[in-house]
Amino acid sequence: MPEIKVTPLGAGQDVGRSCILVSIGGKNIMLDCGMHMGFNDDRRFPDFSYITQQGRLTEFLDCVIISHFHLDHCGALPYMSEMVGYDGPIYMTHPTKAICPILLEDFRKITVDKKGETNFFTSQMIKDCMKKVVPLNLHQTVQVDDELEIKAYYAGHVLGAAMVQIKVGSESVVYTGDYNMTPDRHLGAAWIDKCRPDILISESTYATTIRDSKRCRERDFLKKVHETVERGGKVLIPVFALGRAQELCILLETFWERMNMKAPIYFSTGLTEKANHYYKLFITWTNQKIRKTFVQRNMFEFKHIKAFDRSYADNPGPMVVFATPGMLHAGQSLQIFKKWAGNEKNMIIMPGYCVQGTIGHKILNGQKKLEMENRQTVIEIERCEPGCCHLSLEVKLQVEYMSFSAHADAKGIMQLIRMAEPRNMLLVHGEAKKMEFLKDKIEQEFTINCFMPANGETTTVITNPSVPVDISLNLLKREMALGGPLPDPKKPRTMHGTLIMKDNSLRLVSPEQALKELGLNEHQLRFTCRVQLQDPHSDPDTLSRIYTHLKSVLKGYTIQHLPDGTVMVESIVIKVSSSAEEPNTKVLLLSWSYQDEDLGSFLSTLLKKGLPSGLSSM
Amino acid sequence: MGETSSVENEFDDWFIESLKIYNNIHEYQLEHPTRVIEWTSEKTICVAGYSSDKNEILELLLPLKLFTDDNQGLCAERDFKVVHGGFSDGSIHCLKHIPGTRYIIVAIDYVTSFCCHELSSSNCCFLLRCVVTNDGFNSNLQVWDLGGEDCDVIKRTGVLQLKSASSDKGVKIAPGLTGDPCVLHGSQISDIQLTELTSGKPLYSLGKDIPDLLSSLQFVSGSVFLACACNGDLYVGDTRNPSGLQNNPAGGREGVHWCMGVKTDLSSSDPSSCSVARLSSACQVVVSDLRDLRAPLFQAQLHVQRKTTSDDFMKVTWAPALDNCLAVSGFDGMVRIYDTASWRPELMEFQPLFIHRGHMMSDDQFDTSSAVVTTHVWHPSRPRTVLSAAVDGSVHVWDWVDKATASC
Repeated sequence: MPEIKVTPLGAGQDVGRSCILVSIGGKNIMLDCGMHMGFNDDRRFPDFSYITQQGRLTEFLDCVIISHFHLDHCGALPYMSEMVGYDGPIYMTHPTKAICPILLEDFRKITVDKKGETNFFTSQMIKDCMKKVVPLNLHQTVQVDDELEIKAYYAGHVLGAAMVQIKVGSESVVYTGDYNMTPDRHLGAAWIDKCRPDILISESTYATTIRDSKRCRERDFLKKVHETVERGGKVLIPVFALGRAQELCILLETFWERMNMKAPIYFSTGLTEKANHYYKLFITWTNQKIRKTFVQRNMFEFKHIKAFDRSYADNPGPMVVFATPGMLHAGQSLQIFKKWAGNEKNMIIMPGYCVQGTIGHKILNGQKKLEMENRQTVIEIERCEPGCCHLSLEVKLQVEYMSFSAHADAKGIMQLIRMAEPRNMLLVHGEAKKMEFLKDKIEQEFTINCFMPANGETTTVITNPSVPVDISLNLLKREMALGGPLPDPKKPRTMHGTLIMKDNSLRLVSPEQALKELGLNEHQLRFTCRVQLQDPHSDPDTLSRIYTHLKSVLKGYTIQHLPDGTVMVESIVIKVSSSAEEPNTKVLLLSWSYQDEDLGSFLSTLLKKGLPSGLSSM
Repeated sequence: MGETSSVENEFDDWFIESLKIYNNIHEYQLEHPTRVIEWTSEKTICVAGYSSDKNEILELLLPLKLFTDDNQGLCAERDFKVVHGGFSDGSIHCLKHIPGTRYIIVAIDYVTSFCCHELSSSNCCFLLRCVVTNDGFNSNLQVWDLGGEDCDVIKRTGVLQLKSASSDKGVKIAPGLTGDPCVLHGSQISDIQLTELTSGKPLYSLGKDIPDLLSSLQFVSGSVFLACACNGDLYVGDTRNPSGLQNNPAGGREGVHWCMGVKTDLSSSDPSSCSVARLSSACQVVVSDLRDLRAPLFQAQLHVQRKTTSDDFMKVTWAPALDNCLAVSGFDGMVRIYDTASWRPELMEFQPLFIHRGHMMSDDQFDTSSAVVTTHVWHPSRPRTVLSAAVDGSVHVWDWVDKATASC
């Protein structure tokens, strides 16, 4: 039976480190290659030994597909391709391809330069890895090889995030990556057609949650910013150049306009240009509203938001600053933070995740006193004006954490199932114990199976692919000529023909046509058998008796008694012989062609029973 | 086009206004609307669907953000977590948690029996919490076990068969406050009965022939309960004394539907201190207390333009941690909060202290003008936090700003 196997190497019942192996129609595909951000040891990467104990990754895998640029989905990519070793194709969308290496390099810097870890991938490895990337367009079917094809669908979530359909013959799997079923200020909602995959593999990080609305999250953000600005404080928002930053800018711009606010908003140097560049490049990936207005007015060129200069940080009075990097591990955001941290009137809003070991992570854990590492301090002394450097820093400003991540919740998962109509459902990224209810719900509502495999555990789904075969018109006409009831699509009917598998297609044709087409000679296949029987007559008499017998049994068949001492029933030849020692033991020789196999077997069975007495020999 | 933008503007106006009038507001969208919100612990609530066939009962964990007062900024968690869920094939019109247990009791409308949901026998220790639910048009109560740590599925543990299933109107439920898990239930005054959950044994029944339909039922102490009939009559009963039922006719107008909200102070042993608010379908509120239920202490005419003709969702509740305040919903898409301190014995019109319009400000394609609030509950300890639900499946948790303190 054809089957599809799915093995999570890093995502089953576990958050972070997405990596899933799919075997479909003899092809092996790796979906995502993520890193666990909470670990510093081997556990941060997926367990590739599952594959490598049997051989090299390149030989095993037909391709790798990355759903989006978040590190828990692509962070282990250079490790896998350059350190474990993989030379095959890596597919990702254009935006992901553009943003992914920037994030990887950023993360490498924190891990190696700041935390001093060795045994990590290098900048060169990231570059080499990215050379293996093949970009994907939305809704474009890409032929990985003769049989394997993939197609990307819009997933919302972040710029460039995609769901992928993997297809071999009539079998298919859809992998969602992270997705979002509600549009937001800069991205649209995930969409897929009714592609009825054999398995839909969905993330389920938020499967047991009912999400607070985006509107309330935004409201909280504005409230915090507004309150701080009103009391004359400064707001620092450390961001990654791309992603939520644009969304928050659009929000603040609208709010400032509406409330007639005067406090300046700054975007750290280079950020706007960089972001604008990417959004212009990938405008098709944003939501409809932005695309529509982009022609008249670039949503990412702001009236109230201006470029930041380092000297502005010391200006008196309220202000709002978006600065990179997002985790406060270096650069402008860290510099500003150090200047503002001592004043309780100020506020820092962390809109995203922070890796362990970064200042961002520390302050999010409520740490009030920060010891600056020496290395870092030296660098800072060189960069900063004298007097603004401390060996230890007191955090007095207000710290706020706001998650704007866009994930599908239980309702979103149900919506996607309704859209794609899969035959089986597979949930990764969640805790099985807490998802029994959701599993029941999916199984009841859609009458499909729902699986939740753990890491390293394989889920096997038997598929019943229908194999389309073309039938030649001549063969059909011949069948029709043979009579019988007219063809009825609801009733199966047996017919004979020759199956030709050629050029990736299956055709049923008449044997003659097949011979002609394939340039083959026809071979005759004959069966012969001997039947012994006791008959106290001469050989010619026995033959006559057989002739008479068959004449009476087989009505409507051509039976001939030939003068050369044979009886022929259609193409079946019957001869009689006996030895001189035992003249009454007759040996009948039957011989027939493959085409008359049914009749031949019938005759041999019939004659084995002997001849009835009372047959005349004439 | 112009119409769209005016709707958009109204929406934006409210959004900006909300910055000032709420300390916190969270908006959730359930797959199916609920008309019950029941606390099952300090941090969890139960909601359940009321559609005609398949429904879900969900136990939701409220976000941590709602419970951390200091350092709230560091708490990013603002989503509901579905901690337990179950399926019911009837419409759920009433759902009550039985204090001190993991049980809920629900009233379901299609079966002619009471259902009791309990945990599997191997997990007797989880007989810590349970809920009883009731659906609107049949006398069937079910007990459901909310389950424990090991599984997230809510299971039905039993069905309580109601003998007097004569009425076609929904059964009302009041869980017993003390002692063994038991439930007071009835669909009309005459069939009010106290049933022990574990045995299904009737412990008390009224045995008086009063066919008035029941609209609200509640214990005010271990044995004393209040029953409000749809016509506005109030009854005080005592489960220790089946013959002693006290009737307080309201003398209400014909065709007006009434329901009741009771403020109980369980710390005080004297049930007479509790206030009873009755809400009528003509948008009047009458407040009285147990010492004299006949004479209103004070009353008010509410200024409400009804958006629905149905009386199904009418609800009045007292704030548990805010003196003299009550909340009213069920007439339209709003929840109104009133301070009764200024109310008088004569019927006068009073303005609300606060109006929650959030359910009418949904940004979905849903026709917001037809939004009707299905139910609301107060947070047991946070004075100004209310949870409310509407027919579009929205559930809001909001904490409004007290103007008196905000201005200084």
